[in-house]
Formats: sequence, structure tokens, C-alpha cells
Amino acid sequence: MPNLKEVIISITNRCNLRCRMCDIPGGKSEELPTDQWKKVISDASRLGSQTIVFSGGEPLLREDIFELIYFTRKNKLNACLTSNGCLIDSQAASRLSASGVNVVNISIEGSKGTHDHLRGEGSFEKALSALENLRSQRIESTVASTVSRYNYKELPYILEVAKNYGSTTVRLQPFNLIFLKDRASGAGFFIDEADIQKMEGLIGRFISVSKEYKISVNPESYLRKIPAYLAGRRSHPRNCAALWYSCPIASNGDVFPCWIEAANNKLIGNIREEGLYELWLSGKRMKMVNSIVNNGCSGCLMSCYDEVFGSRLSKAYLLDKAKKVKKIASYQRLANKAGQLLKSQATTMKLRYRFYASYRGSVTNLLKRRLSRILNKLQGPEKTGGDEKEMALLEISRLKTKLEKEIRSL
Amino acid sequence: MTEAFKKFETNLSYYFSRVLNKRLAKPLWIFISLSHQCTYNCQMCGVVKILKGYELNTEDVKKAFNEISGWQRDFTVVITGGEPFLRKDIFEIFRYAREANLNIEAVTNGSLIDRAVAGKIMASGLKNIAVSLDGAGEQTHDYIREKGAFRKATEALKHLVAAKRDNRGGPQISVWTTIMKENVGELFDIISVARELGVECLVYHPVIVAQEDMQNTSSSARFWLQEEEVKILKGQIDRIVDYQKKNGLVAFLHDPYLWLRHFNGQLTSQEWSCNPFVFINIGPDGEVRSCGAAFGNIRNMDLEACLDTPEADRARGLMKNCRKPCLQTCWSHPEADSLSGIVDTFIYEVRKYSSGRQEKKELLDAALSRLTDYESLLKNAKP
Ligand SMILES: C[S@@+](CC[C@H](N)C(=O)[O-])C[C@H]1O[C@@H](n2cnc3c(N)ncnc32)[C@H](O)[C@@H]1O
Ligand SMILES: C[S@@+](CC[C@H](N)C(=O)[O-])C[C@H]1O[C@@H](n2cnc3c(N)ncnc32)[C@H](O)[C@@H]1O
Ligand code: SF4
Ligand code: SF4
Ligand code: SF4
Ligand code: SF4
Repeated sequence: MPNLKEVIISITNRCNLRCRMCDIPGGKSEELPTDQWKKVISDASRLGSQTIVFSGGEPLLREDIFELIYFTRKNKLNACLTSNGCLIDSQAASRLSASGVNVVNISIEGSKGTHDHLRGEGSFEKALSALENLRSQRIESTVASTVSRYNYKELPYILEVAKNYGSTTVRLQPFNLIFLKDRASGAGFFIDEADIQKMEGLIGRFISVSKEYKISVNPESYLRKIPAYLAGRRSHPRNCAALWYSCPIASNGDVFPCWIEAANNKLIGNIREEGLYELWLSGKRMKMVNSIVNNGCSGCLMSCYDEVFGSRLSKAYLLDKAKKVKKIASYQRLANKAGQLLKSQATTMKLRYRFYASYRGSVTNLLKRRLSRILNKLQGPEKTGGDEKEMALLEISRLKTKLEKEIRSL
Repeated sequence: MTEAFKKFETNLSYYFSRVLNKRLAKPLWIFISLSHQCTYNCQMCGVVKILKGYELNTEDVKKAFNEISGWQRDFTVVITGGEPFLRKDIFEIFRYAREANLNIEAVTNGSLIDRAVAGKIMASGLKNIAVSLDGAGEQTHDYIREKGAFRKATEALKHLVAAKRDNRGGPQISVWTTIMKENVGELFDIISVARELGVECLVYHPVIVAQEDMQNTSSSARFWLQEEEVKILKGQIDRIVDYQKKNGLVAFLHDPYLWLRHFNGQLTSQEWSCNPFVFINIGPDGEVRSCGAAFGNIRNMDLEACLDTPEADRARGLMKNCRKPCLQTCWSHPEADSLSGIVDTFIYEVRKYSSGRQEKKELLDAALSRLTDYESLLKNAKP
């Protein structure tokens, strides 16, 4: 049975923005407490997952987000955060750095005018300053964009932003109606048949510029599908690997086979009643996943599923990543310095290329970091990221507030 | 209510000891091996193969007891060995501990406990007496230990139970079982043996395969469970847990299902994090140790001074990074693993058990000021 690779946690539905393409902030308000999320994270680790993605809503509205990221890293999992960037001032960035987060993903929709039109006045500047603050803390940043009629002409521009701020990756994801309550209001986001060709051209330019700038983007075959998809031509894949490798959990603890099927009332269970460990291995989930596989799913082009979308693509993509991992050979030259240890690490890294396929940030970057850590800390114990004292201080201030609140409420 | 605050303080001190790698509390568990002399030479026992010929001086033990009795909080002293009842001064030591008002327990193979000794144990002031039982019958137990050992252990338990009845009270009578390849299939059956003998508490713990280097739990070691045996263990745990829910008797010191991951070599320090400040062992040579490393000697230093040597800091630093927890129960204190857990529990208890608004406010204020103290400690400790 395939192992769980990543868990995507929508930690809160609350948001400080009201983007035109997203009604998440109007969703259910119920949220799980810190300890229950910690249990989810340890269960994910027991199930062999490699990555936890924290999304939302705006995840930084949860005061315990730093603690949860730290806990994730302490469990030796990768922690990725997706944010609109508004709350990443220099202090938050240093907290993120203390938490040991691997990658922070900031949403950028295009130029200032387009971005602010979609996301609200002033949000572009804030997103840029988030990227800047992340850079000064040397946290890897990536950029995400929701592609629609409103911004597809600016796709190459988004690469400029990424380049200017040292982001390693730009991920596109076509607009999807599931984020909207009133689906009719989403009509304007799609493109006309007549525009497909124009958009194909822009995607082509996006790909070539990304190569020139050495910025990772979604797999080419995935990007090439976006124009037709946005014009309303849907496919209904029968064997989406996301169902086998990734697990979305909503802010109220609901566990779904995938975000899209969630809209079809495909609920596996809830974290308040059963652990992730039990739910993931349950017969109920197996049955549900099998029936989706057999009957075909709603179909989507969500970027979180890009590399596993369809079995052929997934193989091609993995091979592509494997090639990148082969570049490790050049690092192996360092092996003379670092000795056998490094070599064996490089080999396990190659063997585990599947894991890197599910990693959200730049693979090369991750490997570089890993290797330099090995070189630096050849003798010392492995550092799991995050600064324990810094985190304890953050927790103290949070808990003091909690105690004060309790005292006031007497 | 002061109980809740005491617990809060204790847990905070263990939590921050760990974060700062600085000793802010004294150990909860003090194991003392008076001698490694033994009536047996059990196959899995690493203890009797090292530090032969050392005997801890009665006077040194008493000196340590004097010191411990001055410490605040409830500490537990466990007398182990070797075989403790080989020591001529054993009852003198128990009496001294009782007079010093210490919580004291002992563990034995039972070979020297006849009717008379059982009677003396009842009057000794021990809180708990544990007899080791490694099988549900002669075959396994005697194979591991020595011919006749099973009969002697069960006889000892019978004497203890009878003596407790005659004495109308005495220490809790327990059985300790070491989980290993040889006995994995009969763990559940030990329950009925214990129950029929009138035992009050049964504790299982996984075998240690290399006493001198516990972090190196190696799956090829003789007594270690292999894949097939881990499956058997799973079936045994299911039955034991089921029994325990209905009838008690078995005391779990942690989630027994962790044993499976432990023997599969998958247990991580996040699931079971050893708190290096919770436990110490004093050997027959007088050395104070944790996880194998010695850091001071009670023959020429106070116990507390032993805990604060640079060697102690180093040993605990290594333990903090332990990647292969040994699952020996006393090494950990899960209540102190998470700061939010400690504070949340405290708030919960204040809400639930404290009577008036004034009392609640005082307790919460006190908690707040403790946190503030630790905050400045932490800030000043930063490099
Ligand atoms: C829902 S947001 C949550 C995290 C954070 N608030 C943010 O905006 O990045 C996650 C991603 O989904 C994208 N998104 C929002 N509405 C969407 C839609 N209707 N279809 C597809 N993606 C959408 C956002 O642009 C963002 O990159
Ligand atoms: C070392 S003995 C000393 C007391 C006494 N001689 C006895 O056998 O009970 C203490 C406890 O450790 C257990 N033990 C012996 N060898 C062990 C090992 N390799 N791993 C874990 N526990 C062990 C014994 O079964 C006993 O319960
Ligand atoms: S896209 Fe993100 S920032 Fe915008 S409303 Fe949705 S959750 Fe909030
Ligand atoms: S293609 Fe999309 S809708 Fe279909 S199973 Fe995969 S993630 Fe779900
Ligand atoms: S009786 Fe106890 S101390 Fe003696 S050899 Fe056996 S386990 Fe070790
Ligand atoms: S868990 Fe603690 S006592 Fe056990 S091996 Fe690790 S550091 Fe040592």
C-alpha cells in the first residue's frame, strides 16, 4: 500500500483578506486546539509522511502556528507554510526562522494593480515586504499564483518578482470553483475558447523565462494543460495519485480524500473522533478511494497535485526530478572531504528521490542545504531545525497571555 | 489545590531543565545498587557482569539518605542490585530510610525470601517490594535464570502475601517482568500466575541488550524481538490491555504499544523523550550515573554536587539528543514534555477544583510569575 507523503492542513478558515476568487473566510469557524494538531503531526510521522503543509485561510492568524511548525520539524518532517504575506513583518520572519520552517509560500497574482484588484488594496506591497523579510532571515520562499482570465497575461511578470526576491519556485494553479460559495460568481475567471491560443503562448513564455532565470516551476506537461482547463475542457482522471499520497485536513478536523472531492460530501472522518493514523489506515478510506478511482473523480488541476496528476505524468515528472538529483554527483566531489558518510547520504538521497518529488521547495536547494549541514556538522548530532530556546520564549509569551486572560475572566 | 501548583512547578522545572540543559530540579527516581553480587547469573542480565567486587558502604548510603531527606518533593529510592537481600545490612538500610522519611522500594529475585525474611520486609517500611518473574512457568524462567528459580520466586511471593495478611499491611507486592524474545509468548499468562499468588501490581519493561551503551539498541542482540516475535507481542499487548481495563493489576508506565515500535527500531525520541533530569542510578562503586555515564562519586562528594559536575552536564547533553530511546520507564516524565500541556493542565485544574475567585486568582498569579521567572532565566541564558 502506498505510504502517506504529505498532509495538508487548513489550520483556520479565518483570513485577514477577502480575495475575489476565495470564500474560504466565510467557511466553518470551528478550529482544533494545538494539542490535537500535534497529535495529527505525530500520526503523520508514524505513517511515514515527509511533509506537512500549513495553509488556510491565513495560517498566521493562529497564534500557535510557530509552535506547530517547530513541532513538525522536531518530528523530522518538512514544514511548509502558505500565506498571503500580510502578517510576515520582520518579527514574524524571525519567529519563522526560529521555528525551523523549510519553505514559505507567498501568493502573488501579478502586477500591483492586478494583485490588489484580486486581493485587496495594499496587499501587493505587503506580500513583497513578506518576501523581503523572508529573504533577510534566509528562509526559502516560493511564489504561488491562481491563474485566471484576470492575470494570465502577467504570468512572466510573476517570474520577475520571484527573481527579484530570490524565490526559488513559482507554482501556478488554475482558478477552481470550489473555493467559491456562489459558483455563478466565478464565471468571469474562466477564459474563452478563442483565448486558448494566446494563453498557450504566454505559458510557453513563462516556461522559457523560468528556465532562463533558473526558477523551478510546475512540470511543463502540467502547465500546458492549464489553458484548455481554464476554457472549461475537463478531464476526469481515473487514477489520481493524490488520493494515495496526500491527505487534506480541514480546520474543523474533517479528513477528506482530496480537497475537490470534499465538495462531493466525501468525508472520511474527523480528527476529534479518530486519530489520523486510524483514519488513514481505515477500511472506510480505502473503500472511498477505490470508488473514486473506479468511478472517476471530479477532475482538477490543483497544483498541490501537479506532480502526481495522472500516472504517466507522474512517472515522467519523477524521472525529471531524479535527473536533478543525479546532479548530486557533482557534490559528491566533496566526498573526498567529507568521507564515506557524505557518499552514503548522497546515495540514500538518490534512492529517496520520490520523497523529493513531494517536497514543496527547490530540490537542489534542499540537497545543498543538507550536504552543507553534513559537512559542517560531521561530528555533531543532527540538528532538526528550529531553536528550542527561542521557541520556548515564544511559547511563554503566548501562555502568559492565556493566563492573564484567564485571570481577567474570573 | 497546592497539589496542583506543586505539580505545575515540578513539571516546569523539568521542562526548563531540559530546554536549558541546566539542572533546575532534583531527580524523581534514585536507583541504588548496593552491590552486583547475586545468587544468580541470569542470561540477559548485564548488571552482574560488571563492577564485580564493589560494595557500597553502609555509611555512604546513610549519608546519601540524609541528604535526600532534606530535599523537597516526593522522591522514590529504589534498592536494586545484584541481589539486595545478600547484603547483611539490608534491613538496617531500610530502617534508616524509613526514619529519614523516604519513599523506598526494593526489587529482588526472591531466592532469599523465606517466611522470616518476608515478615521482616512487612515491618521494614518499604513502600513496594518487587519480585522478578520472567516466565509463566518453570521452563522459561528457569532457562533464563537458574534451575529452581521459578519455584523460589513464587514461594517468595507466597511468603510475602501471607506475611502481609498476618501483619495486616505492608508494602505493595509486585512482579516485574522483562520482555524478551524468550518469554514473549507467555507475557499474558504471567498475569494469571501473579493473580493466583495474590500479587497486587504487575509491571512489564523491555529488555536492555547492552547495559554499557543503552542508546545502541541492536536488533541482532540475543534477547531482542525479531519481526515475527513483535507480531506475537502485539497479540499479547492486546490481551494484556484488555485485561487491564477490566481488572487492573497491570500497571503501565507508558503506552504499551510503544514496545512494538521500540523493538522494530522505529521508536523516535519524539514519541518517547527521555528527560535526563528525572532519573539517576548510584552504583556499588559509589558512582552516580545516568544512561551509563558516570559523573560523580558519593563516597567523596555530596549527591547534589555529583549532579552538577561538568561531566553530568555533558552526559545529560548527550541524553537530550538520544535517538534511540531505551524505554526504561523511569527515564522519562511525559507530563513535562510540553509547556502548553503543563499550563493547560494547570488552568484546567484551577477551574475545576479550586473553590473561590480569590484562591483562583492567587494560583493563576503565582503561575504567571513563575513563567515570568523562567522567561528571564531563558533570556539571560541566551548566548
Ligand atoms: C486558499 S489560500 C490559503 C493561504 C493564504 N491565505 C494565501 O492566500 O496564500 C491557498 C492558495 O489557494 C489559492 N486560491 C485562492 N482561491 C482560489 C481559487 N478559486 N482557485 C484556485 N486557487 C485559489 C490562493 O491564491 C493561494 O495561493
Ligand atoms: C538487575 S535486577 C536486580 C534485582 C534482582 N536481582 C532481580 O533480579 O530482581 C533488576 C531488574 O532488572 C531486570 N533485568 C535484568 N536484566 C535486564 C535487562 N537486560 N534488561 C532489562 N531488565 C533487566 C530484572 O529482571 C529485574 O526485574
Ligand atoms: S486566497 Fe488566501 S488570502 Fe485570499 S481570502 Fe483566500 S485564504 Fe484569504
Ligand atoms: S484529480 Fe483532483 S479531484 Fe481528482 S482525485 Fe485528484 S485531486 Fe481529487
Ligand atoms: S537475579 Fe537479578 S541481578 Fe541477579 S543476575 Fe538475575 S537479573 Fe541480574
Ligand atoms: S532514552 Fe534516555 S536512558 Fe534510554 S538510552 Fe536514551 S538517553 Fe539513555
